[in-house]
Amino acid sequence: MLKVEGLKKMYGRMAALDGLCMNIKEGALYGFVGPNGAGKTTTIKILTGLLLPDEGSVVVDGIDAMKDTGKVTEKIGYVPDFFGVYDNLKVWEYMELFSACGGLYGLNARKRSRDLLEQVGLGEKTEYYVDGLSRGMKQRLCLARALIHNPPILVMDEPTSGLDPGTRYEFKEILKDLREQGKTVVISSHILSELSEVCTDIGIVEQGKMVVEGSIDDILNQINVRSPLLITVCRNKEQALNLLRAHPYVETITIRQNDIMVGFTGEQEDEAMLLKQLIEAGVLVGGFVRERGNLESVFLQIINHEEGMVLISEN
Amino acid sequence: MKINPIYWQEARVSSRSFRLPFIVFLCDTILALAALLNMYSMVTQAKATAEIQYASFLNLYVLVACIEFVMILLIVPALTSGSISGERERQTLNLLLTTRMTPADIVVGKLMASLSTMILLIVSSFPVLALVFIYGGVTVKDIVLLLLTFVSTAVLSGSVGICCSSMFKKSTIATVVSYCVMAALVLGTVAAAKVAAASGPSFWGWLLLVNPAVPFGAAMGKQMGSARRLSVFETWAGSSFQRLTVGDWLWLSLVVQLLLAGICLYTAISQVNPRRRRRWKY
Repeated sequence: MLKVEGLKKMYGRMAALDGLCMNIKEGALYGFVGPNGAGKTTTIKILTGLLLPDEGSVVVDGIDAMKDTGKVTEKIGYVPDFFGVYDNLKVWEYMELFSACGGLYGLNARKRSRDLLEQVGLGEKTEYYVDGLSRGMKQRLCLARALIHNPPILVMDEPTSGLDPGTRYEFKEILKDLREQGKTVVISSHILSELSEVCTDIGIVEQGKMVVEGSIDDILNQINVRSPLLITVCRNKEQALNLLRAHPYVETITIRQNDIMVGFTGEQEDEAMLLKQLIEAGVLVGGFVRERGNLESVFLQIINHEEGMVLISEN
Repeated sequence: MKINPIYWQEARVSSRSFRLPFIVFLCDTILALAALLNMYSMVTQAKATAEIQYASFLNLYVLVACIEFVMILLIVPALTSGSISGERERQTLNLLLTTRMTPADIVVGKLMASLSTMILLIVSSFPVLALVFIYGGVTVKDIVLLLLTFVSTAVLSGSVGICCSSMFKKSTIATVVSYCVMAALVLGTVAAAKVAAASGPSFWGWLLLVNPAVPFGAAMGKQMGSARRLSVFETWAGSSFQRLTVGDWLWLSLVVQLLLAGICLYTAISQVNPRRRRRWKY
């Protein structure tokens, strides 16, 4: 649906993008993650036609974005990291303005606006002035505005930044709805826990390059294998430590009160064998679990350049 | 008919705000006060001397026209110099550019909005200008010619304002630069031509073609039957220029100024276009 290849962009001598590649499947909810200055906003601006890259190509639904900007703008709805609203307009006037900008006039525009405002929960606020809306409402209005021309792709840059948890939850639900409607959503965010809940795919960008890309399940599975074992010992802790130190699959041991975190390279069967050995050695085991990896741990490992990370999965 | 959405939005917002009626009220009050005081003085003079000087009524017309011309020069840059930079400040320009709207649509919509405000001001001043019809001396054709110079001046100063607005990120800087450019066009060209003409007719006299005050002066001169002042400008520019203009400075000047306005708009459009390669930033 959206394919980016070898994207390069220089700001003076600084490379914002250094050969970034990206492949987003149709219907995916793609989390675009990276530290500040990694090149997320630059990429999004190029995707939406607001910036010209120095090199590289962007193909949106088979259309070369470098050659046919007009057609690409019809395919993409853009929600920026700011509200971008005219304070002295009413909600319905704001929607009417952008429907006219998208080539939609009259009754069709009014119906589409009404439906979208209902969808984002602003159906009751059409007569309100935009400056009378709360932060969360303004952001939802921006989302409705981006969808006015019914684009198949929605690109969102930090849409939930500065929103309270309740509004973030509502936003997440709207994203799920959009996905059910078959929209392809690209969302850049720093709130990784939220992304892992809603996204199907993820791309982690650093220093203008894509370092990890793939389905979120594949990435998390691989992370889980590398996550430490958490063993809660109720009695005979020394015995347990001796056994662990001698074990061939144990790489690291970290003690936290009654918990022992073990860097364990073995498979699931080896884990079961270790548990059996501990019990046979008279250790009273209160808990034995492999800590679940999450998007935050993936992100932190990537941006801290932890060696030995292999996370690429097939699309 | 599909109306430019930017124009529609600007018109809606300005008709709702306090600013537009205030500007109209202020301008018309200034014009009316000037006209009524002038009439009062003429009537008082007539009572005292027992004779009516009809030339004074034409002076009233000149006075009102001059005030209106100066107001156009002062108001239009203020209306337009925040148009694009204001969108940037509100962060709405990028949103408009991700729609079907082209940079040209946006710039033209902004210009139309400011011109419609200006036309409202000009039309609302008609009753004051019409005072002169009570005593005669000015024809409808003269008024149409005067309006033409007003519209041309409004288009030029509006285009300069939009051009500056597209080049500078902050509206304040754009406004200051717009006024500086307009001052350079109105006063700077006269000063440059006059200084250069001290050593005989020169190329600098041609600069007066871009001065919006010159066609206005030409129109007023034609109507008052005193084209002498304009011929001074032609002397500055030299005999070849005189042959070129053949006394039709007014029309040539209007064409040149509309071309200049076109160049300003083209510059603004290319500045707004996000996909052009930037060579400089402010």
